Amino acid sequence: MAATTDNDEEQTEERSEEQAEKPAPSRTPRPRGRGPIATAVSVFGELLITAGLVLGLFVVYSLWWTNVVADREANKQGDRVRDRWAGGPGELNTKDGIGFLHVPAMGGGEILVTKGTGAKELNHGVAGYYQDPIKSALPQDKEGNFTLAAHRDGHGAKFHKIDKIKKGDAIVFESRDKWYVYKVYSTLPETSKYNVNVLDPVPKESGAKKPGRYITLTTCTPVYTSNYRYVVWGELERIEKVDNKRTPPAELD
Amino acid sequence: MYGWIWRHLPGNAWVRALLSLVLVFAVVYVLFQYVFPWAEPLLPFNDVTVDGQ
Repeated sequence: MAATTDNDEEQTEERSEEQAEKPAPSRTPRPRGRGPIATAVSVFGELLITAGLVLGLFVVYSLWWTNVVADREANKQGDRVRDRWAGGPGELNTKDGIGFLHVPAMGGGEILVTKGTGAKELNHGVAGYYQDPIKSALPQDKEGNFTLAAHRDGHGAKFHKIDKIKKGDAIVFESRDKWYVYKVYSTLPETSKYNVNVLDPVPKESGAKKPGRYITLTTCTPVYTSNYRYVVWGELERIEKVDNKRTPPAELD
Repeated sequence: MYGWIWRHLPGNAWVRALLSLVLVFAVVYVLFQYVFPWAEPLLPFNDVTVDGQ
């Protein structure tokens, strides 16, 4: 395609030069001998090049810069949460985050969990728990589904390696005084974005039949697009108390 | 277009090159800071939640 465009441009340029040369030999020649059409074509070409560069920059922005910004923001918010935890008992302020998610299968690093799954929240490089369309349960609730979403690419890309999570892997949620250890029992590599049933308190599609304490991770798939959703389900296995050294449970070693 | 800008920059070739670089950085800054954040939610690359709409 690029070659054709080049040819067209060259031809137009040649033609315009001929046209410019033929009439009015008495007029003073244009500087550099370029006619208006040739100028227009060259400006058009430069605009195309510019558009290409801008699109390239957009990719750089999406896949790199948003991660830089989001990680900075997530670290700041995470530090605030840890600081408050260190200060002893206090109100559970859901605005800064309720705790951290650890998924060894997705590699090291903790993911701050905050309320809400809107772009504004998730762009801070966190995982958000759903408020809408189905309200998420919280880990300390007696039963229900703790449903989370995070970005696959850009803005921290916290669930980028969600496809590395296999059945039997651990998902650990760390709150101020408890470690909630979940075990993955089902994954759904591709589903429609309208499939809100995956967030049900008892997610039937995962094979769950009776009420329990579930966790659901959702993000987009395939990578770099948002055509479908990827879902991972886990069920609570046990709860450990946080000791004063915050020793992580065996799953995180 | 770029030729026109180059011809209208003041100074010798070095000064012009420096000014061009400054212009490029200014454009990239405006894109990253204002244009891309505005355009991003309008593009369907980054929706990660399931919802009924």
